[in-house]
Amino acid sequence: MTYEADTGRLPGDASPPPAEALERDGGIGVDGFLEGLWDLLTSMKFGVIVILALAALGLVGTMVIQAPPGIASDAAAKADWLDEIRPKYGGWTGILDQLQVFTIFESVWFRALAALLTASLIACSAHRLPGLWKSATRPHVAIGEAFFSHAPQHEFMAVRGSGEEIQTRVTGVLRKHHYRVVSEDDGTVHLYADKFRWGPFGTVIGHLSLVVILAGALVGSAFGFRDTGFVVAEGSTVPVTSGEGISVELVQFQDAYYTTTGAPADYASDLIIYRDGAEVARQTIRVNEPLRYGGLSFYQSFYGPAAAIRVTDAKGAAVFADGVPLAWTENESGRRVGSFVIPGADLTVWIIGTAGTSDPKIAPGQMRVEVYKGSDGTAVAGETIDQRTSVALAGYTFAFDREMQYTGLSVARDPGTPLVWLGSVLIIVGFVLVLMFPHRRIWGRLVVRADGRGMLSLAAAGRRDVNSNTEFTDLVTEIRTAFTTPADA
Amino acid sequence: MFKMSEYAFVAAILATGLALILYLGYALSGLRAARMQTAGATVRTGVMGFSSGPRTAGLGRYATILGWLGFAFLTAWVIFRTLATGHGPFANMYEFSVAFAWGILGAYYWFEHSYHQRILALFALPVALAMMLYATTISSVVEPLVPALQNNLLLTVHVAVAIVAYGSFTIAFAAALLFIIQPEGGRWGLPKPEILDDISYKAVVVGFPFLTAVIVLGAVWAETAWGRYWSWDPKETASLVTWLIYGAYLHARVVRNWRGRKAAYLLMLGFAATLFTYFGNLFFGGLHSYSGLG
Repeated sequence: MTYEADTGRLPGDASPPPAEALERDGGIGVDGFLEGLWDLLTSMKFGVIVILALAALGLVGTMVIQAPPGIASDAAAKADWLDEIRPKYGGWTGILDQLQVFTIFESVWFRALAALLTASLIACSAHRLPGLWKSATRPHVAIGEAFFSHAPQHEFMAVRGSGEEIQTRVTGVLRKHHYRVVSEDDGTVHLYADKFRWGPFGTVIGHLSLVVILAGALVGSAFGFRDTGFVVAEGSTVPVTSGEGISVELVQFQDAYYTTTGAPADYASDLIIYRDGAEVARQTIRVNEPLRYGGLSFYQSFYGPAAAIRVTDAKGAAVFADGVPLAWTENESGRRVGSFVIPGADLTVWIIGTAGTSDPKIAPGQMRVEVYKGSDGTAVAGETIDQRTSVALAGYTFAFDREMQYTGLSVARDPGTPLVWLGSVLIIVGFVLVLMFPHRRIWGRLVVRADGRGMLSLAAAGRRDVNSNTEFTDLVTEIRTAFTTPADA
Repeated sequence: MFKMSEYAFVAAILATGLALILYLGYALSGLRAARMQTAGATVRTGVMGFSSGPRTAGLGRYATILGWLGFAFLTAWVIFRTLATGHGPFANMYEFSVAFAWGILGAYYWFEHSYHQRILALFALPVALAMMLYATTISSVVEPLVPALQNNLLLTVHVAVAIVAYGSFTIAFAAALLFIIQPEGGRWGLPKPEILDDISYKAVVVGFPFLTAVIVLGAVWAETAWGRYWSWDPKETASLVTWLIYGAYLHARVVRNWRGRKAAYLLMLGFAATLFTYFGNLFFGGLHSYSGLG
């Protein structure tokens, strides 16, 4: 195919020869191995295969249900989850789990491929850089005659005048079009002109930007903090476990709905952030408006009902008074549940809300209070009560003051994010450089005879593409015109 | 405004449908001419080896005019719908589908203008038409935005950029399909394989950076709304898979003997991934599941 980019064969070109063509010394041992590894990592075929393999894993990740985050470290939760999906995957469940298909993006396979891709990206960039640098800073100026009749675009013109005069005219035209012109004279005048010589570096920038993004992801998972299930009831203050002495108070949560369709219109949490007990930030957060304080970000994520509960001991002293978020859902009944521990006692209290108007045991407006032994989980007592009433259970008095709401936040500190954004900007910069500033190169060869008649050959490298075609043709036309005016005419 | 947008949409369907019929006639006339050519008649070849074609030029011209009209009507739809909703018309499956068709027509005419290969329309326009017909099955009522989508700037830019990418990929697909159905060396008066390969490549060269921008903008939005720039949401992952396939294509094309047919198969795969990404939220749920169809 004649239109093919012959870049590999052009003089001074930076593109690497295909790995297959690289000289192999045939030696065995470490050198031979490293060389083989290098060939593999810089091989385009290998790169394509790794990319497609990653795509295949990604496809598996969209088709096969993925375990919720954090479940892998909790054996019981994982077993429960596997049982949940077993009806769908049947006998394959265990095998797929062994193959880490349910956590495909944390699997050995995925990590190995990502590592290979990173190594390949770095190797390819390192492989290309010296050539690019050379072609930008020390281009090959003097090239053989044959090139001018074989280049994808070439043009010959008869010219008159002294060598310097001709050269000045040609150079003048090229410079006017922002070309850099370099010449060498060894009896024949060799000309080299180029524009956008830093454009090809966009390729390297684009490829390395992916390494930057992956580095950002690594930094985030190694040094970041994330709590996607951070719940606070209205009026409560809950500490963030990131170890910075930060706590969050929810002043109020509001959910609004469109009157026309009933679709949700707004979720807003009025938050106060405390650091070591002192208020440091205050904001109403919405789904698209997180609160940022220090390196931490607080996102509106979910919400639900909560119950204001007061517990007093036998002497009438308050031992607990707080909003209890009913942040879990019982599988069978669909009831919302929440829990807390009575300080100084081996008792865990579960607060259970209604499943709705059809709930036979807990009516809307009621809460069920169940007390369990914290150590072995044995049930101690339980009772369903109305709002603004109380009940005596296990030696304590439980008052259900009112129903309210809790907000579910996602709290995150991800120090890798700046790297990810840097990589994202770099990848766009890379595309802009490569696409908008393609390296344009023109070689010229000028032979002038003693009688002042000369032959100027011009040739351009590159693909047969409409834009560079036009540019070369226009330049040639302009150079021709330069010779027909005024000295010659 | 809403009424006007509805009229523009219907007019666009009619114009595109008629254009497709004319393109079909144009292609069939070419088939006959190609047979005559093999029987010994001579054929003009245009500049730079682009076959200007022995086809009935008149039919092709009218097809182009009608197609442009379809594109103009869709542009009107975009404007009216934007005025009616206050954001780019990209917030649910109905809006996105019509906008997708708009992107395909836009990309197609950009390529028809620079390559003069009307045969591409045979595969590009049906995709656009299918998108519009699919949109007619979905309610077009303007609904207010749910909280996650209440970011007019990102909603408009993120999806507008996606439309350019998807439109370009559709053209790459159409050219690759034409490449694949031809026997080696080309036949039936279809565009030369080299030109088809070039069109595909150019389309991906446009589409790939745009898809990259879609993913980056999506990450920016996800970081604002969902609390992390990447959560392996199925639609996110599908877009990454699509991105990887087109990335593989761009690299495969440099491997000497992978160019041509193998690259064309990768483009089929890429377009399948594009459609999968596009329709994905209908069946895999996840955070992008606000299609307006649930």
